[in-house]
Amino acid sequence: MKNLTSLIAVLAIAALTVSAALSEIEQMKADLIGHTMGGREKTWKFQSTDQIKQLVIKSRVEDGRRQVCLLALQLQATNATERYAAEAKVEYWRTPTGWKVDHVGLLSLKKME
Amino acid sequence: MKVTATCQSGSLEGNSKTAQAVGALLCCLLVSGCKTPKEPELGEPLAELTPEQQAQFRAGQDVFDRVFTPETGLGPLFNSVSCAECHEDPVRGGTGDEVEVHATRFTSPGACDELFDKGGPVIQQDATELLKAIGILKEQVPAKAAQARRSTPPLFGFGLVDGIPDSTILSHEDPYDRDHNGISGRANRAIDGRVGRFGRKAAVATLFDFNAGAFPQEQGVTTPLSPVEETINGTPVPPETDPARDPEIPLADIEKVTAFTRFLAPPPRQHFTNFLDAHLARRGERLFAELKCAVCHVPKMKTGPSPIKALDRKTVALYSDLLVHDMGPALTDICLGQALPSEFRTEMLMGLRFREHFLHDGSAESVEGAIERHGGEAARSRDKFKALDKKDKKALLKFLETL
Repeated sequence: MKNLTSLIAVLAIAALTVSAALSEIEQMKADLIGHTMGGREKTWKFQSTDQIKQLVIKSRVEDGRRQVCLLALQLQATNATERYAAEAKVEYWRTPTGWKVDHVGLLSLKKME
Repeated sequence: MKVTATCQSGSLEGNSKTAQAVGALLCCLLVSGCKTPKEPELGEPLAELTPEQQAQFRAGQDVFDRVFTPETGLGPLFNSVSCAECHEDPVRGGTGDEVEVHATRFTSPGACDELFDKGGPVIQQDATELLKAIGILKEQVPAKAAQARRSTPPLFGFGLVDGIPDSTILSHEDPYDRDHNGISGRANRAIDGRVGRFGRKAAVATLFDFNAGAFPQEQGVTTPLSPVEETINGTPVPPETDPARDPEIPLADIEKVTAFTRFLAPPPRQHFTNFLDAHLARRGERLFAELKCAVCHVPKMKTGPSPIKALDRKTVALYSDLLVHDMGPALTDICLGQALPSEFRTEMLMGLRFREHFLHDGSAESVEGAIERHGGEAARSRDKFKALDKKDKKALLKFLETL
């Protein structure tokens, strides 16, 4: 019985951790909407979370006022077949209402096979 | 009976009511004529800008003129040291004599590799002394890539073009030529799916996007949106060749240049004052429609609602549908976005008379020469032009001199 309780506790913690990570990813996707990175033919404007096929937070550095996240992304436009692998640097600033994305920098872009 | 009317006094002499009415009407016309805002000259800002917007235009002009050095961000790879170095003829914001090299790889119909991981489609033709010192003089066209030459486009009126709703552009699409006129334009798309309109292949969606990319790709100047240097065919630049700290300009500088280009007025039309030229130009305008040139070179579009009065629901005489069309094998070069190698966006003809070289690569020395090199969907119009008698050909060219 004791073992079962422990197993349930471990599973619950794991589920909560995964859920928190997922919600963090979803939150970050939502934060990007409306922002543009790159320029000219290499521009990506985040229009909907559906276009972000994959988002991995590679690193996060935070001080009191600023937070910089490096992301690995897979992007695909609605109704398009091409998918792009991108690396992006997202800079957040602390505002009275919480963290807000200041800008998104495109570090690299590659069309996926 | 003598009737006089002046703007200043509004005085009328004469007794009859008719004379008074005519005089009042004349005065009103004169007064309203006095109040008509002067059409901006080439290189001037749009009329109706607020003092604050005029200040934004001037601040953007300063960034447009700024000459970058390696210490302030130039390079290591670059095409030009400032925006104004290329966009200079006949005034700031215009065209220039530089011809760029662009390259992409067309893999199959509908599949274009813009070579983003090989340095991107813009092949920088110059390098700073620091980069040259290690033997790199410029970027190379990647193996198996097709290449194209691109002249500098004039920027006049681009803010109005930016303000045209996507729906207006899409309303001109006819990808399957359902009206059987031999012309089947379609909108190109940016890689993120938005409707494209800027660039010779219409692969860029907005004026801001274009300016944001011009700094890193043309001048090697990094920005918060592109915070790493353009690579040398995919290889990062050696750090010792790049003395300026990234990003080399703030976001505000992109916004300033965008304000300058957004508020740059479209070129003024030429109105012939002598009867013969005016008559010829009118005849030429009719021929322009009869030859179906105007199917692609759509004379006018209207901007959408804008909080900026000078851009709010304004008519812009761009003479383009902003769609890409097959121009035939003779002009075929590179793919870009969804545009095939043979497809080009209909060139905007506004300001045509201020240009000295024509077509996307500046290879035509005259308007007539450019028309004669149209092919593909434009072949029928070209053939009709070539079949015109001397007088009609002169009329059509005279009309184009008004643009």
